[in-house]
Amino acid sequence: MKKIAITGIGIVAPSGIDKKVFWANIKAGRSEIKTIDRYDAQLYPSHIGGQIHQLDAYSHISSRLLQKIDPFSHMALIASEMALKDAGIDLTKENLNHIGIFMGNALGGWLYGETELRDLYIEGREGVSPYMASAWFPAAPQGQVSIYYGIKGYSKTVVSDRASSLMAIGHGAKVLGKDKLDFILAGGMEAPLSPYGLLCCNTNGDLSVDNEHPESAYKPFDKNRAGFVVGEGAGIMIFEPQERVQARGRKPYGYITGYGTTCDGVDRIKANPDGKELARAIRMALDDAGYKPQDIDYISLDGAATIEGDVSEAAAIKDVFGSRAAHLPVSAPKTMFGNLLGASGAVDIIITLLAMEHSLIPPTLNLKDVDPRCAGLDYVREKARPAEIHKALVISRGRGGINAVVALEKVK
Amino acid sequence: MDTKGKVKDVVVKLLKVRPEELKEGQTLEQSLGVDSTEMVEVCIALQKEFGVQLGEKEVTKYQTLDQIAGVINKKKG
Repeated sequence: MKKIAITGIGIVAPSGIDKKVFWANIKAGRSEIKTIDRYDAQLYPSHIGGQIHQLDAYSHISSRLLQKIDPFSHMALIASEMALKDAGIDLTKENLNHIGIFMGNALGGWLYGETELRDLYIEGREGVSPYMASAWFPAAPQGQVSIYYGIKGYSKTVVSDRASSLMAIGHGAKVLGKDKLDFILAGGMEAPLSPYGLLCCNTNGDLSVDNEHPESAYKPFDKNRAGFVVGEGAGIMIFEPQERVQARGRKPYGYITGYGTTCDGVDRIKANPDGKELARAIRMALDDAGYKPQDIDYISLDGAATIEGDVSEAAAIKDVFGSRAAHLPVSAPKTMFGNLLGASGAVDIIITLLAMEHSLIPPTLNLKDVDPRCAGLDYVREKARPAEIHKALVISRGRGGINAVVALEKVK
Repeated sequence: MDTKGKVKDVVVKLLKVRPEELKEGQTLEQSLGVDSTEMVEVCIALQKEFGVQLGEKEVTKYQTLDQIAGVINKKKG
């Protein structure tokens, strides 16, 4: 595919709102997974998560608008503003018809939804806010960002479980590569920690219930894995064609150079343990970027911390990279702040770009005893490892066997 | 407080705007850019406040505070 430059980053995550704070915490290997304290969640099997505090302190959104939107749109609006500023883009000088928005989200805005449903049952039909219709659905953040800035170009929201934002980014980069738009905002957001949202995540059965030890509960690829931990947040980036970036005299963070996606087609929840389809998605992304397996310096892992998820991910990497897999650094930094579900792929891309910039691979926390079925990879664990990363892959997967892989390249 | 003052109070609290944003003689759309969905909320809140039924064509964003207060006063008899 045509190389697309990434020129702006907006991050709203449990590890920090703003890329400097976020990277400082990631670099230090600090866990932000805690007991959920915004309501009494003690009766939920898993009641730990990566929560965002002080969102309002970073917000530029009016109270009037805030009462019409769910927190997932609020986070998207804050991340979009940060990304546009970071890229040095002045929208008054842009053709708004030629800007696109590509977002990924898995669950929708449940805090708004469940609050209004309560009002429906208690107060009746007239107790429900007329904004219910436009606040809860997964494409709401895309719509709110579009309305806020008056952006009118071709845009899309992808709903594809935990792979949502990586797929939105892959699709958005392809659309931009066809020269139909001047630039795009691409990323994802998720707010799964509302009472009903968390309950739904719990019924999935893939969450860690090690509530006594929140910071060490999320341990993918470990033989004592217990499932993942959810977190909330948004990651949004500015993607631009190289020529435009050169004309603007900006230095991008890096490039998105390839994208591949496949489906396992086996189970409605679990990944196929053989990892064959993930391997095919990795090869697809490599081919799309024009890379060979030996070109890759780092892989950002999905790290579902489920048996099928971990085993198939390790198998796919060994399948594609062969003997080199033992010397190819891999990690799942999301162990520090939780799995942001539909937003996870976007945040993983942001981390990988910052890792390239700082020549430092962030660690997988809590990986002490590697599951023998996942052995044979060079897991970066506990502490960040200095390393030059020129080319990298980011893997994101969803329930039902969705595989998505993006290839990234550092700016020379 | 007279009806107009109460209507203003409802709108300010509901839409979380500053009282001075509601300009004298201007319609809700002109002064606040109220959209149709917000108007649904305003209508429901006014019905609760004054205990009268208000049709969507009776109270609209194209009216001033005085006009809305007039409709309500007429309904209350």
